[in-house]
Amino acid sequence: MVSRRGFLASGAAAAAAGAVGAVAGASAAGVAAEQNLETFAANREAQFFGPHQSGIELDIQAVTNMVALDLKDSVTKEDMLRWMRLLTDDISRLTRGEPVLADPAPELAIGAARFTAYVGFGPSLFAKLGLDSQLPEGFAELPAFSVDQLEDRYSGGDVLIHIAADDPVVLAHGTRGLVRDSMPFASVRWVQPGFAHSPGMIPAGLTHRNLMGQVDGTANPELGSEDFNSVVWIDEGPEWIRGGTLMVFRRIAMQLDTWDQLGTPSKEEVIGRKLSNGAPLTGTNESDVPDLGARHPNGLLVIPEFAHIRRAAPVESAERIFRRPFSYDNGMNERGSMDVGLLWTAYQRDISRQYLPIQRRLEKLDLLNKWTVPIGSAVFAIPGGVQGSELIAEPLFS
Amino acid sequence: MRKTFLLFIPIALFLSGCASDGEVVAQDLWVKSSEMSIKGGMSAVYGTLTNNSSQDVVLVRGATEIAGVVEVHEMAMIGGEMKMQEIDGGLTVPAGKSIVLEPGGNHLMLMMLTDDLEAGEEISVTFDFAGAEDITANGVVAKPAEGGDEEYHSGEMEMDN
Ligand code: HEM
Ligand SMILES: [Cu+2]
Repeated sequence: MVSRRGFLASGAAAAAAGAVGAVAGASAAGVAAEQNLETFAANREAQFFGPHQSGIELDIQAVTNMVALDLKDSVTKEDMLRWMRLLTDDISRLTRGEPVLADPAPELAIGAARFTAYVGFGPSLFAKLGLDSQLPEGFAELPAFSVDQLEDRYSGGDVLIHIAADDPVVLAHGTRGLVRDSMPFASVRWVQPGFAHSPGMIPAGLTHRNLMGQVDGTANPELGSEDFNSVVWIDEGPEWIRGGTLMVFRRIAMQLDTWDQLGTPSKEEVIGRKLSNGAPLTGTNESDVPDLGARHPNGLLVIPEFAHIRRAAPVESAERIFRRPFSYDNGMNERGSMDVGLLWTAYQRDISRQYLPIQRRLEKLDLLNKWTVPIGSAVFAIPGGVQGSELIAEPLFS
Repeated sequence: MRKTFLLFIPIALFLSGCASDGEVVAQDLWVKSSEMSIKGGMSAVYGTLTNNSSQDVVLVRGATEIAGVVEVHEMAMIGGEMKMQEIDGGLTVPAGKSIVLEPGGNHLMLMMLTDDLEAGEEISVTFDFAGAEDITANGVVAKPAEGGDEEYHSGEMEMDN
């Protein structure tokens, strides 16, 4: 057995010596390609500047930290601007794979790895700073739902910094920089880490799987589409929210022990889609449109009355959201039951017309509720993106 | 505001904590905001100075609206302890080379601050060179930072000038 590294080194040496032809099948070009492949994740860069903040209209990254902060008592709008000045510069550097200014560990900036971070504000921030007139339409704390078993330690927050990257070390380093620069202004309320697939596991644009095994995200509006714009990005109201969006965050625990007692056909009926490829029970491919009217020969609905996708499907055409859920894994108890679930996020222009009617239907009937429990909840208004020397949320605090 | 952003580009360069007279370039500048950077207290400016000319230049002094006294400092072993002191004759930036001002190393020391220097605030800083034009950088941002200069933590000014 030749180690990959040894193999590469000998290939490179052969190329350097001007050897013609392949050494153990590796041409110089092949070696270069292989080396590029090894660091492809480091070199991929998300875009920071633009009409929207980064990390939303983007294929989901491998790892995430959601950090919620509460303002210190004396913080003013002017202080907020100074905070946003630090964060805007930090995020733009980290997105390029560079250390932040004053970075005590610049050597950890080893690659962009699709680092992104965006900033959002909870309703409590507007109350604390007397900014009620700047509240976007339909933006308020969520009502209580009968399915909720919410815990404070996972809920609420004046400010959200949602950070993600394709590498856990890049994520940790970036998180530290952003939190360090936040400490003069706020204290950490909660941090919720999560993950999706590692780079290289699924082709871009394909839907990832959650820890129940389901293909999750199929019915989402397509990234970069006009549809996405009209579901997610706000283009009216106060200046600061234009190009922004409203986010619902729900930490939803999965009861995998009881879920796994179901057979595959039952699991598939709960959602209304196949586990193998995410196709609707009435189709063969993931992209097939579910036929909610289809019945078995015995008269029963193929996609049952209680199925998650039937209940979640829009009744009014406006009732659509963009979901970008990361998984979480918070260890296990002595009986081996895993504390896992989703850092479920939904982005939309108007929570009251998009998320709320869906959640109200699911609250009343959705068989999935038997194995899923919302234990954390928050809403954040996410300002638009920045260009040139603009600061995140500058028009809100000026 | 977004529609007019093109107009802001020259200002953006001006404000981004870098400055240049063509020969000497100052980049990635920042100033420390800590519990010491209050009115009457002290701070320091860090960043990278690059000398693109074919002759050595010497950073001899500095100036900023926020400090009564500005000196070019180094860290040195004095009586078995790392202390900072003014550099005799200034800090040389060799021809074609860069030097880094960083916590625990060379820095532009600000003393007798005229006001509190708070995180996220921006100041302008002038670097006085012998052998090159002085340069002034606007938009040098105050970063919360503690590391590097042990003297900052002692609460005592241990300066050997
Ligand atoms: C742990 C909790 C949840 C899990 C595991 C889950 C899983 C899924 C899966 C597997 C699908 C089908 C594939 C897809 O289109 O993505 C789906 C669809 C959907 N889910 Fe969920 N979901 C959860 C919670 C929620 C919540 C809380 C909401 C909203 C309040 C929601 C709204 C939707 C919507 C709107 C769809 C698309 C329905 C359509 O086909 O039009 N989900 N979900
Ligand atoms: Cu000093």
